[in-house]
Amino acid sequence: MKLIIDESRCKGCNLCTLVCPYNIFQEGSKLNEKGIVVPSLDRPGRCTNCRLQKLYQRRLCGVCQLICPDQAIHWVEEEPYEPLGVVIEF
Amino acid sequence: MTPSLEEWYRQERMPHIFCTGCGNGTVINCTLNAVVEMGWEIDNTIFISGIGCSSRAPGYVATDSLHTTHGRALAFATGVKMARPEFNVVVFTGDGDLSAIGGNHFIHACRRNIDMTVICMNNMIYGMTGGQGSPCTPVGAISTTTPYGAGEPVFDLAELAVAAGANYSARWTTYHVKELTKAIKAGMETPGLSFIEAMTQCPTSFGRKNRQRQPSDMIEHMKNHSILLSKKKRLEEEGKSVPDDTFAVGEFARRNRPAMGVYKK
Repeated sequence: MKLIIDESRCKGCNLCTLVCPYNIFQEGSKLNEKGIVVPSLDRPGRCTNCRLQKLYQRRLCGVCQLICPDQAIHWVEEEPYEPLGVVIEF
Repeated sequence: MTPSLEEWYRQERMPHIFCTGCGNGTVINCTLNAVVEMGWEIDNTIFISGIGCSSRAPGYVATDSLHTTHGRALAFATGVKMARPEFNVVVFTGDGDLSAIGGNHFIHACRRNIDMTVICMNNMIYGMTGGQGSPCTPVGAISTTTPYGAGEPVFDLAELAVAAGANYSARWTTYHVKELTKAIKAGMETPGLSFIEAMTQCPTSFGRKNRQRQPSDMIEHMKNHSILLSKKKRLEEEGKSVPDDTFAVGEFARRNRPAMGVYKK
């Protein structure tokens, strides 16, 4: 699964940067064509839901999607599946 | 086959009209997640709202909806439930809509205990008309009609619902999204009137005048100034003082009083 922000819906309130336990969402720096600073994703492969949703067969965490007032955050299937070389730090 | 979360939104009407960082979108997310978990059908559900920012919410839900007159959402919802008791009725309403102009409808809907779910998006202000003070504006907060700070005590809607006889009453904020979803689901499962008050942020009309210009400032404020109801009761039992500027969050009542309009298959 892949985490994406829908740029046509995001209004740049940065609430997702506040709640993500992995700090995947970072405040953006560039304006998009609508004049909105959309948050940038820092190594989205670390997201629990991206990694483990298939294994557990249910939505894990998902607080960013719940708190997003503009329904801009969702997960899409990756085709073909790309194993991102995520190093889990202990 | 129950509809998925995406099917519950009117995708062609998105993005919605709410301001940047408005908490109403969060409450819609939580409600629709709870509805999906309940497994309701789109054709069997009806969303009703009055007038205000919050009341634009049913326009983004794929079900049939009623956008009614100011404060009278509960009166219309009563009519819907009496005419078609097999429908699942959800009412979206705001604090000005529910507590100020529709206060009498609210207490009598609680007293009659009609089988519906009432979700109040309490943004502590009349947001749509330009930020006038509502009965839920906190003491000391500045609004258009209270330029020296609101001086009147706040209406505690969750306690009011308990006193008026609702079967379920809870209060959460838009920071507590998981708890809010669970509370809405519990309210939908409970027969009789279930009242869920969701404290939302309003950075445009409320935060701008109260030094909380960013949506995250208001979320942080709600996070730091909410106190669990169980903790509040414990502090009171121990004789310690509860901080003045906090509000209680949690489940205020869950009981099984005789309800009106419960559909029996």
